[in-house]
Order: sequence, then structure tokens, then C-alpha cells
Amino acid sequence: MSTIVAHELTQRFGAELALDGIDFVLDKGEHLAVLGENGAGKTTLLRILSTAVRPTSGSLQIFGLDALRERARLRARIGFVGHAPGLYPALSAAENLEFFCSLQGVDRARVAETLALVGLSHAARRPAGRLSRGEQQRLAIGRAVLHDPRLLVLDEPDASLDSGGPDLLAKVMLGRSAVLATHDRALANRLCQRTLVLRAGRALGAATRLRVVR
Amino acid sequence: MTKYYRAAAAAAALMVVAAGAIFLFSPTDALQGPVQRIFYLHVSSAIAAYGCFGVVLVGGAAYLRNESATGDRLARAGALVGLVFTTVTLVMGMLWAKPIWGTFWTWDARLTSTLVLWIIYAGYLLVRRLAEPGRQAARFAAVVGIFGFIDVPVVHFSVTWWRTVHPGPVIINDALPPQMLMTFLLTMACTLVLAGVMIAIRYRIETLMDQAPLAGAVRAIVHSEPAR
Amino acid sequence: MTRAVAVAFAVARKDLTSEWRTRELVPALGQFVVLALVIANFGFQIDSQNAPAIAPGVLWLALVFAGLVAFGRAFAAEREQASLEAMLLTPAPAAAIFAGKALAAGLLLIACEVVLLPALALFFGTPLNFALVAAVLVATIGMAALGCLFAAMVARVRAREVLLPLLTLPLWIPFIIAGGQAVQVAMGATGNYNQAVALLVDFDILFVVLTSLAARFVLDD
Repeated sequence: MSTIVAHELTQRFGAELALDGIDFVLDKGEHLAVLGENGAGKTTLLRILSTAVRPTSGSLQIFGLDALRERARLRARIGFVGHAPGLYPALSAAENLEFFCSLQGVDRARVAETLALVGLSHAARRPAGRLSRGEQQRLAIGRAVLHDPRLLVLDEPDASLDSGGPDLLAKVMLGRSAVLATHDRALANRLCQRTLVLRAGRALGAATRLRVVR
Repeated sequence: MTKYYRAAAAAAALMVVAAGAIFLFSPTDALQGPVQRIFYLHVSSAIAAYGCFGVVLVGGAAYLRNESATGDRLARAGALVGLVFTTVTLVMGMLWAKPIWGTFWTWDARLTSTLVLWIIYAGYLLVRRLAEPGRQAARFAAVVGIFGFIDVPVVHFSVTWWRTVHPGPVIINDALPPQMLMTFLLTMACTLVLAGVMIAIRYRIETLMDQAPLAGAVRAIVHSEPAR
Repeated sequence: MTRAVAVAFAVARKDLTSEWRTRELVPALGQFVVLALVIANFGFQIDSQNAPAIAPGVLWLALVFAGLVAFGRAFAAEREQASLEAMLLTPAPAAAIFAGKALAAGLLLIACEVVLLPALALFFGTPLNFALVAAVLVATIGMAALGCLFAAMVARVRAREVLLPLLTLPLWIPFIIAGGQAVQVAMGATGNYNQAVALLVDFDILFVVLTSLAARFVLDD
């Protein structure tokens, strides 16, 4: 069973067509890179895959479930990192993760593990608002894997990460299926086996096993 | 002439008939004088306005239950037509109140709840216009419509309850002699037909707007939100 | 069910902890209401004769505007939107998240009332008794639920400063009518306090249930 089966995904905002009939399949354990200019529709697509928004039309199956109807069940198994970190600046890094543990229904012990995984153990008690942008991004990534999801959806996670970023991404993506939107083709090559290139909401050809070399 | 033009002409003709009844058939009220004739259209408009709100409720609920585009369009049409009738009701009410009560406005149950109805309609249309077009606008507006529909009788009840403690203006005797009653029923029927025709026409317009990307593109330019 | 309650409390605790550490909202609200009382004193030309008649109105005016600010803030910040989405992308039910936020915002408004009611008693010479406090607290519950629902809605929409009062005030009118009556009687006028408070409780139940049902349509796509 494929992890993701997307068919004719279309997203309209009023008259604006953000995504126009996207098809692709993601198998278990595969990493898919989504490339494209700003405004091509990467963020829109990733937000649909995370179940944050529903497409205007088209079908989407994740883990064999209808992603448009079974969102509550799927959310426990998907981890999402979006553009904005969405953290609570007045709460410490550890408190942020503890809070999401309550929401996820996950044991608090995971907080220490996750902080160690993303390299933030030293900053556990620091308010999230006083973390550097790179550290905040690490914390957001930590939150995305707190509940040990089977699928990661990452929207330009490398954008604010520091030099250890790609290694961290490789570490968290290991053993999970992942969809990664990025501008960085070298990163896409390193981390992902497949590529989907978007332009103006359309896929430039189907997602094939090609490495983008430029 | 399409069926919409024919329907509109028929509705207009019916209103002329009603006007004839109001001014020629119905007798002049002994107490209030000619001003009382406003009452026929005023009350009919009020009933049409509440009826339109019922349409908004049903359409919105249908949309929330199963994303029914028809329901959403019906709700949109009902809201716009309802706003028109509510405005008519309020204006006619004020025109009537000044000679009879000596003041344009008073906070009795009916006036207050009609004003609240107007505000809720306005809120509904604004939310529709300002929210992200498509699903979000339809969803938010449906919630506003449902809360509004429940709110209007709650407000009416609250003010009535309050007025038992703080009595307001003297209640006009609502009993009607037969000729007046007939005139009223005729006017109400004609007004409801008019409201129905207006909703049907507006529904058709909304359907066309949904289907026409160009019209939407013009609106999108007017809104000028950056693409995401 | 207990999970939903646990989620709601976790969300409320998170919001209250954030507010406690930053101390942004409550001092601003407190200052606002005191200022409103001072202005009312001069605007209404308060003296010992008219103070009892005008005080209830001033209380509700101050409370309504403070409420709009408090509830608007619960969802307003843009970063709040990203965090709200992060909360929704968990198994936690939307209604529970909403309940938590409404609970926290309500408690913050109550903190503001702790300033408002004594200040009102001080400046206007009106009594400060249990009946008054109870009436205001009961009204706050329903007003918080409604205010937060529409605040969540307008946070995603343009022109939110215009839209929030427009949508919320019609729904607050029954609370102000019944609450106004209850407060007036608590301050010594004649009237039916018990009936007024019973009405407030009815409104609370009605709108808390409705907003909980509507929460998932407003918060989630």
C-alpha cells in the first residue's frame, strides 16, 4: 500500500488557481522533493498533504485512508513543519513540547528524547522567543516528530536552519516517508529519491525517479 | 423574454395590485389616519425579511452538513434580498413611528430585533466578502447565519422580558376589520411572491458568478490579496 | 471525553501561562477600564444623585469594550495562526481547543473585572456585593464563548477590527439586557434579580453548546 496516492489535486482560491490537477504516488519510506519557484504552489500542496486544508477537488489517500474524511485519524500519524514555526514564545522549549505532548496524547518522556534529537537539550528551559531562528526551526522540527509520525511533510525546513541542518533533516527523515519542499536542489538530491517540479500550479511531468542535476 | 424577466414583471404587477388595494380598497383608520396604510407594506416586508432569513438558515445548514453549493448560493441570495426587505421594514417603521409615537425610534422588542436582524445580515454579507473566497467564506457565513437566526428571537424575547419591567410605548391595537385584514393578507402574499422572485433571480446571478472565472478575476483584482 | 477535557485545560493553562509571563493583556485591560470610569465620571457629570442610575451602564460599556479586546487578542496574532494550526494537526478535537482558549480568555476578562468592579464601587459609590459579582461572572461565561468564536473567525479575515464588534455585539445584546437588569437590582434598584440571572444562565447554556458545536467549522477547514 502506498503511503500517499494523490489524484487530480486542485486548489482554487476564488478565481485564482493555485494547484491544477496534481497526481503523484509516494511509496512507504520514500522521500519526495517538491521543487518550484515561489508561488508555484509548493506550500499549497504541502498544506493539503498535512491535512491542514482540503483541496477544492481531487482525491487524496494517505496510509490507505481517505484524507478528506479521516483527517482526525491521519493527523496522529503525520508531522508537519510549515513556514512559520508556530511556537509559543513565552513558554520554554521543553514546555512547548510538553504542551504538544498533551495534545498528541504522547508520554512526556518523549520531550527529553526529542530535544536531544534536534540538538536543543542545552536550551530546554529557554523561552522559545529567545531562541535563534535556527533553534526555533529545530524546535519546530522536534515538534513534528514528537509523536513518531510515519509521514513527514516539510515546507522549506532548510530555509532558516544553520549548518547542521541537512544532517538533522536526514536524521529525522530516516525510516519515515517524507515530502520535502525546497529551493535547494543539492539538498533535494541528497535527501530525496524522487522529485516533483511545480510551475504555476502544474506538475512539470509526473514525479519520476529523476535526479535534478543542474 | 426569459422566464426571469417574466417572473419579475409578474411580481411587479402583483405589487401594483397590492398598492391599489392599500390605497383604494382599504378604509382609512379612524385613530391613526392615512399614515396607517404604511402598516400593510411594513409588516409584509418584515415577514418577508424573516422568511429570507429562514432561507439563509436552511441554505447555510445544508452547506455545513454536506458542502452543498446550492445551499450556499441560496443562502447568499436570501441574505441579500433579506437585507433589502429589512431595510424597507426599518425605514417604513420609522416613517410610521414619527407621526404616531412622536419619535423615529424606540427600543421596543420588534424594532430592536429587526435592527439586530439588519446588523446580522450586514455581518453575513461582509464576512462573505472579506473571507477567503470559496469554502472559508461559505463556512463562516453559514455559521454567522445560524447564530443570527437563533439570536433574533432571543433578542426579541429579552427585550419583551425587559419591557415588562420598563414599559415602553403604548401597544397599538392589532385587531383588524375585515377589509383591512383582506388588504393585509393580499399585500403579504404579493410581497412574499416578490421576495421569492428576487431570491430566484439572485440565485441565478450567484450561479453565473460562481461559473464565470472572469467575473471572479475582476473581483480578485479588486481585492488584491497576494497569491500564495 | 476526559481527553477532550484534558486538552481544554492544557490549552487554557498554556494561554494563561503565556499571559502571566508576558503580562501584556491584563494590565492594558485594567488601565482601559479605569480610564473609562474616569471619563464616564466627567462625561456623565456624575454626582451622588445620578451615580446609582448610571453606574450599571458604565459597567457594561467598559466590560463590552474590554471583552472585545480580550477575545480578539485570543486569536489575533499572526503567529497565533500558525500555532493554532499546529494544535489542529493533532488528534485533539477542535471543540476542546476552542473551549480551552475561551476558558483562558474568559479568565483574563474576569481578571479585568477584578479591577473594574472595585473601581466602580470606589468612583461611583455603588455597593460591591456578592449579587453583583455573581451576575457579572455568569454573564462573562456566555460572552466569552461567543466572543471567542467570532474572534477565531475574524482572525482569518480582513478588516477584523470592524468585523468583530459587528458580529459579536448582536449576540451579546441579550446578555447586556439581562445582565444590566441584574446589576441594577444588585446595586439597589427594584426589579427581579433571580429572573435576570436565571435568564443569563439559560443564555450561557444555549450559547456554550452552540459555540462548541460550531467550533470545528470555524477553526478547521
